[in-house]
Amino acid sequence: MDDRLRETLSAMMDDEADELAVRRLLSFSDQDEVRGQWQRWQHIHDLMHGTGAAADSVSPAADVSAGVWQRLDGGAPTSEHNAIRATSRQRWHWPAVAMIAMALVVGFGAGSGWQSAGEPELIAAPASTEPNAAATVASVSEVSLQGLDDRQRQQIHRYLLEHAQHNSVGAGRGSVGYARLVSADAGGY
Amino acid sequence: MMHSILKQAGTQATEPASAGKPSMTSSIDQTAPDQGDSQTDLQLVRKVRNGDRAAFDLLVLKYQSRVASIISRYVFDSHEVMDLTQETFVKAFRAIDRFRGDSAFYTWLYRIAVNTAKNYLEARSRRPLGSADSADAENYDDGQRLRDIASPEKLLQRDQLQQALNKAIDALPEELRSAFLLREYDGLSYEDIARILECPIGTVRSRIFRARDAVDRHLGPLLNHSASN
Repeated sequence: MDDRLRETLSAMMDDEADELAVRRLLSFSDQDEVRGQWQRWQHIHDLMHGTGAAADSVSPAADVSAGVWQRLDGGAPTSEHNAIRATSRQRWHWPAVAMIAMALVVGFGAGSGWQSAGEPELIAAPASTEPNAAATVASVSEVSLQGLDDRQRQQIHRYLLEHAQHNSVGAGRGSVGYARLVSADAGGY
Repeated sequence: MMHSILKQAGTQATEPASAGKPSMTSSIDQTAPDQGDSQTDLQLVRKVRNGDRAAFDLLVLKYQSRVASIISRYVFDSHEVMDLTQETFVKAFRAIDRFRGDSAFYTWLYRIAVNTAKNYLEARSRRPLGSADSADAENYDDGQRLRDIASPEKLLQRDQLQQALNKAIDALPEELRSAFLLREYDGLSYEDIARILECPIGTVRSRIFRARDAVDRHLGPLLNHSASN
Protein backbone atom coordinates (compact mmCIF):
# COMPACT_ATOMS: atom_id res chain seq x y z
CA MET A 1 0.00 0.00 0.00
CA ASP A 2 1.60 3.27 -1.05
CA ASP A 3 1.55 6.48 0.97
CA ARG A 4 -1.22 7.96 -1.12
CA LEU A 5 -3.54 5.10 -0.33
CA ARG A 6 -2.56 5.17 3.33
CA GLU A 7 -3.29 8.88 3.44
CA THR A 8 -6.70 8.10 1.99
CA LEU A 9 -7.21 5.52 4.73
CA SER A 10 -6.24 8.11 7.32
CA ALA A 11 -8.75 10.55 5.83
CA MET A 12 -11.35 7.78 5.91
CA MET A 13 -10.79 7.44 9.64
CA ASP A 14 -11.61 11.11 9.98
CA ASP A 15 -14.65 10.86 7.74
CA GLU A 16 -12.94 13.06 5.19
CA ALA A 17 -12.63 10.61 2.31
CA ASP A 18 -14.98 10.69 -0.65
CA GLU A 19 -16.83 7.67 -1.99
CA LEU A 20 -14.40 7.16 -4.84
CA ALA A 21 -11.51 6.97 -2.40
CA VAL A 22 -13.35 4.43 -0.24
CA ARG A 23 -14.08 2.37 -3.32
CA ARG A 24 -10.43 2.52 -4.36
CA LEU A 25 -9.35 1.36 -0.91
CA LEU A 26 -11.79 -1.52 -0.77
CA SER A 27 -10.75 -2.69 -4.20
CA PHE A 28 -7.09 -2.69 -3.26
CA SER A 29 -5.71 -6.18 -3.78
CA ASP A 30 -4.10 -6.68 -0.36
CA GLN A 31 -7.06 -6.19 1.99
CA ASP A 32 -5.11 -7.70 4.88
CA GLU A 33 -2.73 -4.77 4.71
CA VAL A 34 -5.60 -2.28 4.63
CA ARG A 35 -7.25 -4.05 7.51
CA GLY A 36 -4.03 -4.21 9.55
CA GLN A 37 -3.31 -0.52 9.09
CA TRP A 38 -6.91 0.43 9.88
CA GLN A 39 -6.85 -1.76 13.00
CA ARG A 40 -3.64 -0.20 14.33
CA TRP A 41 -4.89 3.35 13.77
CA GLN A 42 -8.21 2.51 15.39
CA HIS A 43 -6.26 1.06 18.30
CA ILE A 44 -4.37 4.33 18.70
CA HIS A 45 -7.62 6.28 18.42
CA ASP A 46 -9.23 4.12 21.10
CA LEU A 47 -6.22 4.51 23.35
CA MET A 48 -6.39 8.27 23.00
CA HIS A 49 -10.05 8.25 23.91
CA GLY A 50 -9.82 5.61 26.63
CA THR A 51 -12.45 3.47 24.93
CA GLY A 52 -10.51 0.24 25.15
CA ALA A 53 -9.91 0.63 28.86
CA ALA A 54 -13.57 0.26 29.77
CA ALA A 55 -13.74 -3.03 27.96
CA ASP A 56 -10.39 -4.56 28.63
CA SER A 57 -11.61 -7.95 27.53
CA VAL A 58 -12.06 -6.70 24.00
CA SER A 59 -8.92 -4.71 23.42
CA PRO A 60 -8.84 -2.75 20.18
CA ALA A 61 -6.40 -5.36 18.90
CA ALA A 62 -8.81 -8.23 19.54
CA ASP A 63 -9.99 -9.95 16.40
CA VAL A 64 -13.72 -9.68 16.93
CA SER A 65 -14.43 -9.90 13.23
CA ALA A 66 -12.96 -13.41 12.94
CA GLY A 67 -15.47 -14.60 15.53
CA VAL A 68 -18.26 -12.70 13.82
CA TRP A 69 -17.56 -14.34 10.45
CA GLN A 70 -17.23 -17.71 12.09
CA ARG A 71 -20.70 -17.31 13.55
CA LEU A 72 -22.17 -15.94 10.35
CA ASP A 73 -20.68 -18.76 8.32
CA GLY A 74 -22.12 -21.29 10.72
CA GLY A 75 -18.91 -22.16 12.52
CA ALA A 76 -18.55 -22.74 16.23
CA PRO A 77 -18.23 -19.73 18.54
CA THR A 78 -14.62 -18.77 19.10
CA SER A 79 -14.38 -17.48 22.62
CA GLU A 80 -13.22 -19.79 25.34
CA HIS A 81 -16.26 -19.00 27.41
CA ASN A 82 -18.52 -20.02 24.57
CA ALA A 83 -16.86 -23.39 24.63
CA ILE A 84 -17.46 -23.58 28.37
CA ARG A 85 -21.07 -22.57 27.90
CA ALA A 86 -21.50 -25.09 25.11
CA THR A 87 -20.07 -27.80 27.34
CA SER A 88 -22.38 -26.88 30.18
CA ARG A 89 -25.31 -26.79 27.78
CA GLN A 90 -24.34 -30.23 26.52
CA ARG A 91 -24.34 -31.50 30.06
CA TRP A 92 -28.01 -30.53 30.28
CA HIS A 93 -28.77 -31.65 26.77
CA TRP A 94 -27.83 -35.30 27.21
CA PRO A 95 -30.51 -36.06 29.82
CA ALA A 96 -33.01 -34.17 27.69
CA VAL A 97 -32.03 -36.17 24.62
CA ALA A 98 -32.30 -39.38 26.63
CA MET A 99 -35.78 -38.39 27.81
CA ILE A 100 -36.89 -37.59 24.27
CA ALA A 101 -35.47 -40.88 23.03
CA MET A 102 -37.35 -42.69 25.80
CA ALA A 103 -40.55 -40.86 24.89
CA LEU A 104 -40.06 -41.82 21.25
CA VAL A 105 -39.57 -45.47 22.11
CA VAL A 106 -42.72 -45.42 24.24
CA GLY A 107 -44.54 -43.48 21.53
CA PHE A 108 -43.27 -45.93 18.97
CA GLY A 109 -44.76 -48.79 20.92
CA ALA A 110 -48.06 -46.99 21.25
CA GLY A 111 -47.95 -45.96 17.61
CA SER A 112 -47.48 -49.49 16.42
CA GLY A 113 -51.09 -50.07 17.39
CA TRP A 114 -52.08 -47.67 14.65
CA GLN A 115 -52.71 -49.60 11.48
CA SER A 116 -53.33 -48.72 7.92
CA ALA A 117 -56.19 -50.56 6.30
CA GLY A 118 -54.16 -51.03 3.15
CA GLU A 119 -51.00 -52.91 4.15
CA PRO A 120 -51.27 -54.47 7.58
CA GLU A 121 -48.67 -57.05 6.65
CA LEU A 122 -45.98 -54.37 6.40
CA ILE A 123 -46.15 -53.37 10.05
CA ALA A 124 -43.56 -55.12 12.09
CA ALA A 125 -44.07 -56.14 15.69
CA PRO A 126 -43.04 -53.32 18.10
CA ALA A 127 -40.50 -55.41 19.94
CA SER A 128 -38.59 -56.37 16.85
CA THR A 129 -39.02 -53.22 14.80
CA GLU A 130 -36.33 -51.08 16.37
CA PRO A 131 -33.31 -53.24 15.64
CA ASN A 132 -34.74 -54.12 12.24
CA ALA A 133 -35.27 -50.48 11.43
CA ALA A 134 -31.75 -49.63 12.53
CA ALA A 135 -30.36 -52.38 10.35
CA THR A 136 -32.50 -51.25 7.45
CA VAL A 137 -31.45 -47.61 7.80
CA ALA A 138 -27.87 -48.75 7.48
CA SER A 139 -28.65 -50.51 4.25
CA VAL A 140 -30.96 -47.88 2.76
CA SER A 141 -28.11 -46.09 1.02
CA GLU A 142 -27.46 -49.23 -1.00
CA VAL A 143 -31.03 -49.51 -2.30
CA SER A 144 -31.28 -48.33 -5.86
CA LEU A 145 -34.60 -46.94 -7.06
CA GLN A 146 -33.67 -47.65 -10.63
CA GLY A 147 -34.96 -50.83 -12.11
CA LEU A 148 -38.13 -50.97 -10.00
CA ASP A 149 -41.17 -52.41 -11.68
CA ASP A 150 -44.55 -50.62 -11.81
CA ARG A 151 -45.95 -52.47 -8.83
CA GLN A 152 -42.95 -51.53 -6.70
CA ARG A 153 -43.12 -47.89 -7.80
CA GLN A 154 -46.82 -47.70 -6.99
CA GLN A 155 -46.14 -49.24 -3.62
CA ILE A 156 -43.41 -46.78 -2.74
CA HIS A 157 -45.55 -43.84 -3.92
CA ARG A 158 -48.40 -45.06 -1.78
CA TYR A 159 -46.14 -45.27 1.25
CA LEU A 160 -44.61 -41.88 0.66
CA LEU A 161 -48.08 -40.36 0.37
CA GLU A 162 -49.22 -42.16 3.47
CA HIS A 163 -46.12 -41.02 5.30
CA ALA A 164 -46.76 -37.39 4.38
CA GLN A 165 -50.43 -37.61 5.33
CA HIS A 166 -49.62 -39.23 8.60
CA ASN A 167 -47.06 -36.56 9.45
CA SER A 168 -49.45 -33.75 8.63
CA VAL A 169 -52.26 -35.24 10.74
CA GLY A 170 -50.48 -36.79 13.68
CA ALA A 171 -48.20 -34.18 15.20
CA GLY A 172 -45.59 -35.83 17.36
CA ARG A 173 -46.15 -39.17 15.72
CA GLY A 174 -44.12 -38.48 12.63
CA SER A 175 -41.44 -40.92 13.63
CA VAL A 176 -43.93 -43.77 13.50
CA GLY A 177 -44.76 -42.94 9.91
CA TYR A 178 -41.07 -42.83 9.07
CA ALA A 179 -40.47 -46.13 10.75
CA ARG A 180 -43.30 -47.64 8.75
CA LEU A 181 -41.70 -46.45 5.54
CA VAL A 182 -38.39 -47.95 6.52
CA SER A 183 -40.15 -51.20 7.36
CA ALA A 184 -41.86 -51.10 4.02
CA ASP A 185 -38.50 -50.76 2.30
CA ALA A 186 -37.13 -53.65 4.22
CA GLY A 187 -40.07 -55.88 3.59
CA GLY A 188 -40.66 -55.03 -0.05
CA TYR A 189 -37.16 -54.93 -1.41
CA MET B 1 1.90 18.91 27.14
CA MET B 2 -0.95 17.98 24.84
CA HIS B 3 -3.18 20.60 26.34
CA SER B 4 -0.57 23.30 26.02
CA ILE B 5 -0.24 22.50 22.32
CA LEU B 6 -3.96 22.86 21.87
CA LYS B 7 -4.01 26.15 23.70
CA GLN B 8 -1.29 27.34 21.38
CA ALA B 9 -3.50 26.30 18.49
CA GLY B 10 -6.26 28.50 19.83
CA THR B 11 -8.63 25.86 21.11
CA GLN B 12 -9.28 23.85 24.21
CA ALA B 13 -8.74 20.17 24.59
CA THR B 14 -11.67 17.92 25.25
CA GLU B 15 -11.14 15.44 28.05
CA PRO B 16 -10.85 11.90 26.79
CA ALA B 17 -13.79 9.66 27.57
CA SER B 18 -13.72 8.26 31.04
CA ALA B 19 -12.20 4.84 31.21
CA GLY B 20 -13.93 4.05 34.50
CA LYS B 21 -16.75 1.59 34.63
CA PRO B 22 -19.93 3.34 35.79
CA SER B 23 -22.28 1.54 38.09
CA MET B 24 -25.17 -0.23 36.48
CA THR B 25 -28.15 2.07 36.74
CA SER B 26 -31.16 2.68 34.58
CA SER B 27 -29.64 5.95 33.44
CA ILE B 28 -27.16 4.14 31.24
CA ASP B 29 -29.93 3.51 28.75
CA GLN B 30 -30.24 7.21 28.23
CA THR B 31 -26.60 7.79 27.43
CA ALA B 32 -27.20 7.97 23.73
CA PRO B 33 -24.06 8.16 21.68
CA ASP B 34 -23.18 11.60 20.46
CA GLN B 35 -21.88 10.73 17.02
CA GLY B 36 -22.41 12.80 13.96
CA ASP B 37 -23.50 11.21 10.73
CA SER B 38 -20.46 9.51 9.35
CA GLN B 39 -20.33 9.53 5.59
CA THR B 40 -17.64 6.89 5.70
CA ASP B 41 -19.92 4.61 7.70
CA LEU B 42 -22.74 5.08 5.23
CA GLN B 43 -20.39 4.34 2.36
CA LEU B 44 -19.21 1.20 4.10
CA VAL B 45 -22.78 0.14 4.87
CA ARG B 46 -23.67 0.48 1.20
CA LYS B 47 -20.69 -1.69 0.35
CA VAL B 48 -21.74 -4.30 2.92
CA ARG B 49 -25.21 -4.42 1.39
CA ASN B 50 -23.57 -5.18 -1.93
CA GLY B 51 -21.83 -8.13 -0.32
CA ASP B 52 -18.48 -6.54 0.49
CA ARG B 53 -17.21 -8.32 3.58
CA ALA B 54 -14.07 -6.20 3.78
CA ALA B 55 -16.27 -3.16 4.33
CA PHE B 56 -17.99 -4.83 7.27
CA ASP B 57 -14.59 -5.80 8.68
CA LEU B 58 -13.65 -2.13 8.75
CA LEU B 59 -16.86 -1.28 10.60
CA VAL B 60 -16.21 -4.04 13.13
CA LEU B 61 -12.64 -2.87 13.70
CA LYS B 62 -13.81 0.69 14.05
CA TYR B 63 -16.52 0.05 16.60
CA GLN B 64 -15.57 -3.14 18.44
CA SER B 65 -14.05 -1.31 21.41
CA ARG B 66 -16.97 1.06 21.72
CA VAL B 67 -19.49 -1.76 21.50
CA ALA B 68 -17.54 -3.73 24.10
CA SER B 69 -17.47 -0.65 26.27
CA ILE B 70 -21.27 -0.34 26.09
CA ILE B 71 -21.79 -4.01 26.90
CA SER B 72 -19.32 -3.90 29.79
CA ARG B 73 -21.66 -1.46 31.55
CA TYR B 74 -24.16 -4.30 31.81
CA VAL B 75 -22.01 -7.40 31.89
CA PHE B 76 -18.91 -7.70 34.01
CA ASP B 77 -17.40 -10.91 32.78
CA SER B 78 -14.79 -10.33 30.09
CA HIS B 79 -15.57 -13.52 28.16
CA GLU B 80 -19.25 -12.64 28.09
CA VAL B 81 -18.40 -9.12 26.91
CA MET B 82 -16.41 -10.57 24.02
CA ASP B 83 -19.20 -13.03 23.25
CA LEU B 84 -21.92 -10.37 23.28
CA THR B 85 -19.78 -7.98 21.25
CA GLN B 86 -19.54 -10.60 18.53
CA GLU B 87 -23.26 -11.27 18.82
CA THR B 88 -23.99 -7.56 18.39
CA PHE B 89 -22.07 -7.45 15.13
CA VAL B 90 -23.66 -10.66 13.91
CA LYS B 91 -27.10 -9.12 14.52
CA ALA B 92 -26.02 -5.89 12.85
CA PHE B 93 -24.79 -7.74 9.78
CA ARG B 94 -28.00 -9.74 9.49
CA ALA B 95 -30.14 -6.62 9.88
CA ILE B 96 -28.01 -4.30 7.76
CA ASP B 97 -30.70 -4.09 5.08
CA ARG B 98 -33.07 -2.66 7.69
CA PHE B 99 -30.68 0.16 8.57
CA ARG B 100 -32.43 3.10 6.93
CA GLY B 101 -29.82 5.72 7.71
CA ASP B 102 -32.28 7.85 9.74
CA SER B 103 -29.70 7.87 12.50
CA ALA B 104 -25.94 7.47 12.47
CA PHE B 105 -24.71 3.92 12.02
CA TYR B 106 -23.12 3.99 15.46
CA THR B 107 -26.42 5.05 17.08
CA TRP B 108 -28.11 2.08 15.41
CA LEU B 109 -25.31 -0.24 16.49
CA TYR B 110 -25.47 1.17 20.02
CA ARG B 111 -29.15 0.18 20.29
CA ILE B 112 -28.38 -3.33 19.11
CA ALA B 113 -25.58 -3.61 21.67
CA VAL B 114 -27.80 -2.41 24.53
CA ASN B 115 -30.61 -4.78 23.53
CA THR B 116 -28.19 -7.68 23.20
CA ALA B 117 -26.82 -7.03 26.68
CA LYS B 118 -30.31 -6.62 28.16
CA ASN B 119 -31.59 -9.78 26.51
CA TYR B 120 -28.60 -11.64 27.87
CA LEU B 121 -29.23 -10.39 31.41
CA GLU B 122 -32.92 -11.19 31.13
CA ALA B 123 -32.23 -14.71 29.92
CA ARG B 124 -29.72 -15.22 32.69
CA SER B 125 -32.12 -14.00 35.36
CA ARG B 126 -34.71 -16.49 34.14
CA ARG B 127 -32.27 -19.32 34.62
CA PRO B 128 -32.94 -21.15 37.88
CA LEU B 129 -30.25 -20.65 40.48
CA GLY B 130 -29.77 -24.38 40.77
CA SER B 131 -28.71 -24.61 37.16
CA ALA B 132 -25.59 -22.49 37.60
CA ASP B 133 -22.57 -24.67 37.20
CA SER B 134 -19.16 -24.20 38.75
CA ALA B 135 -17.86 -22.21 35.81
CA ASP B 136 -20.70 -19.70 36.24
CA ALA B 137 -20.49 -19.62 39.99
CA GLU B 138 -16.86 -18.57 39.74
CA ASN B 139 -17.97 -15.41 38.01
CA TYR B 140 -20.46 -14.30 40.66
CA ASP B 141 -19.63 -11.68 43.23
CA ASP B 142 -22.04 -11.34 46.15
CA GLY B 143 -24.48 -13.36 44.11
CA GLN B 144 -25.28 -10.36 41.96
CA ARG B 145 -22.50 -9.07 39.83
CA LEU B 146 -20.13 -10.89 37.63
CA ARG B 147 -16.54 -10.41 38.57
CA ASP B 148 -14.42 -7.98 36.60
CA ILE B 149 -11.45 -10.08 35.65
CA ALA B 150 -9.20 -7.46 34.11
CA SER B 151 -5.85 -8.97 34.96
CA PRO B 152 -2.95 -6.99 36.48
CA GLU B 153 -0.93 -7.87 33.36
CA LYS B 154 -3.53 -6.26 31.16
CA LEU B 155 -3.65 -3.17 33.34
CA LEU B 156 0.13 -2.92 33.19
CA GLN B 157 0.11 -3.38 29.44
CA ARG B 158 -2.50 -0.67 29.10
CA ASP B 159 -0.42 1.74 31.20
CA GLN B 160 2.68 0.99 29.15
CA LEU B 161 0.79 1.64 25.94
CA GLN B 162 -0.62 4.88 27.30
CA GLN B 163 2.84 6.10 28.32
CA ALA B 164 4.31 5.14 24.97
CA LEU B 165 1.48 6.93 23.23
CA ASN B 166 2.08 10.13 25.19
CA LYS B 167 5.80 9.95 24.38
CA ALA B 168 5.09 9.36 20.71
CA ILE B 169 2.78 12.36 20.57
CA ASP B 170 5.28 14.54 22.42
CA ALA B 171 7.96 13.54 19.95
CA LEU B 172 5.92 14.69 16.95
CA PRO B 173 6.98 17.87 15.16
CA GLU B 174 4.89 20.81 16.23
CA GLU B 175 2.85 21.19 13.02
CA LEU B 176 1.96 17.50 12.91
CA ARG B 177 1.05 17.37 16.60
CA SER B 178 -1.26 20.39 16.42
CA ALA B 179 -3.19 19.06 13.44
CA PHE B 180 -3.40 15.56 14.92
CA LEU B 181 -4.63 16.67 18.35
CA LEU B 182 -7.13 19.13 16.95
CA ARG B 183 -8.58 16.27 14.99
CA GLU B 184 -8.41 13.54 17.64
CA TYR B 185 -9.35 15.41 20.80
CA ASP B 186 -11.51 18.19 19.43
CA GLY B 187 -12.99 16.31 16.51
CA LEU B 188 -12.56 19.30 14.23
CA SER B 189 -13.02 18.88 10.50
CA TYR B 190 -10.06 19.27 8.17
CA GLU B 191 -11.57 22.52 6.99
CA ASP B 192 -11.71 23.97 10.52
CA ILE B 193 -8.19 22.79 11.29
CA ALA B 194 -6.97 24.38 8.08
CA ARG B 195 -8.57 27.67 9.14
CA ILE B 196 -6.99 27.51 12.61
CA LEU B 197 -3.55 26.50 11.38
CA GLU B 198 -3.80 28.77 8.35
CA CYS B 199 -2.81 26.18 5.80
CA PRO B 200 -4.52 24.32 2.91
CA ILE B 201 -6.82 21.38 3.63
CA GLY B 202 -4.50 19.07 1.70
CA THR B 203 -1.70 20.00 4.10
CA VAL B 204 -3.89 19.20 7.10
CA ARG B 205 -4.76 15.86 5.59
CA SER B 206 -1.12 15.09 4.96
CA ARG B 207 0.00 16.22 8.43
CA ILE B 208 -2.58 14.11 10.20
CA PHE B 209 -1.60 11.10 8.14
CA ARG B 210 2.09 11.61 8.89
CA ALA B 211 1.37 12.08 12.59
CA ARG B 212 -0.64 8.85 12.69
CA ASP B 213 2.06 7.03 10.82
CA ALA B 214 4.76 8.26 13.20
CA VAL B 215 2.75 7.30 16.30
CA ASP B 216 2.00 3.91 14.77
CA ARG B 217 5.69 3.27 14.07
CA HIS B 218 6.55 4.37 17.61
CA LEU B 219 3.96 2.07 19.16
CA GLY B 220 4.36 -0.74 16.62
CA PRO B 221 6.05 -3.39 18.79
CA LEU B 222 3.76 -2.69 21.74
CA LEU B 223 0.64 -2.84 19.57
CA ASN B 224 1.77 -6.14 18.08
CA HIS B 225 2.47 -7.50 21.55
CA SER B 226 -0.97 -6.37 22.68
CA ALA B 227 -2.59 -8.04 19.68
CA SER B 228 -0.86 -11.33 20.34
CA ASN B 229 -2.18 -11.48 23.92
